Amino acid sequence: MLSRGLLGASLAAAAVLASVLIAVSVISANSSASERPDVTATEFAGDPALLRGVPQDGAVLGACGAPVTLVEYADLQCPYCAQWARAALPELVRDYVRPGRVRIEFRGLAFLGPDSEVALRAAIAAGQQDRLWDVVHLLYANQGAENTGWVTQELLDGIAAAVQGLNGGRMLGQRWTPQVERHLVAASDAAERDRIAGTPAFLAGPTGGKLEPIALSSLDAAPVRAQLDGLLAR
Amino acid sequence: MNVRAVRLAAAAAALAGAGVTAYLLSVRWGGGELVCRTGGCETVQSSDYAELLGIPVAALGLGAYAAIAFLVLVASPVALAAAVSLALAACAFSAYLLVVQVSVIGELCDWCLVNDALVNVVAALVLFGAYASMRPASSA
Repeated sequence: MLSRGLLGASLAAAAVLASVLIAVSVISANSSASERPDVTATEFAGDPALLRGVPQDGAVLGACGAPVTLVEYADLQCPYCAQWARAALPELVRDYVRPGRVRIEFRGLAFLGPDSEVALRAAIAAGQQDRLWDVVHLLYANQGAENTGWVTQELLDGIAAAVQGLNGGRMLGQRWTPQVERHLVAASDAAERDRIAGTPAFLAGPTGGKLEPIALSSLDAAPVRAQLDGLLAR
Repeated sequence: MNVRAVRLAAAAAALAGAGVTAYLLSVRWGGGELVCRTGGCETVQSSDYAELLGIPVAALGLGAYAAIAFLVLVASPVALAAAVSLALAACAFSAYLLVVQVSVIGELCDWCLVNDALVNVVAALVLFGAYASMRPASSA
């Protein structure tokens, strides 16, 4: 028969055990978080002001009611894509996206190799928290040579920690979910349908209407601007 | 309900909990994807809170459930007291992990919720069994 004294001792032991488990869990989780690199203090940081305050919804940057849609096909390993993101995107965000005139939809492709897919999965997973563009921006800012294994866990941890409002653990955990898989397949199918032969490639048109390809004569904003101005003037 | 029946029910619930944790461990170590309706299972299972000093929390859960199942079947006051300690500690730790899922991770894991339910059932049955075994045999 169980005595009252023994039951009291078991209750006390339960309280101690639970306290120890919770304390160890808190310390262990905090220690894991602090071991991640402080990306904001390094060159990884990119331009934090570029996207601040610009609405995002999944893979779309900009107001959902913007009259014109620009679609970007890109491979996150592609150096020309990174160059375009540095040279043209800030200007387009400032002049077209922030004022609510244009929304940009990112369609990621992974045809250059394994690092493309690793990076793209992280970006799409971030899109489920409406932070895809922040992650894409930081991946471009830290782009390495093709298929050298530059998309390391450390880089992704750092990027996850650097993006405000992004739950890094959630992003990393969702990279292999069916939703991300569907997104990858949908973008690939769309690229085939749009006959995309290389990246970066762009299409533009009225939101919800027919999109036309943009002939990219240079990697600055000019060719895209010309197309967007034409569409906005209609 | 007699004490023996309560203990058997507690052992059965603990074995069900062991099954859940064994499934989580098999996916973690064997690869593959968790069956998950909420979509938050992978996030929770890959979070910083899914391990304790490098040991998967599911492994600790499996050990605790197995120990509780064994202890409640051993007809000894000390074993029953140990089962009470383990079950209540597991209950409190599960509650803490539920708070973490909601307030820190921002996702819920189906299997953790199933585990929460089971651990509560186990704790209730173990406590009831302990209470019943404290009373004189004639009134049990």
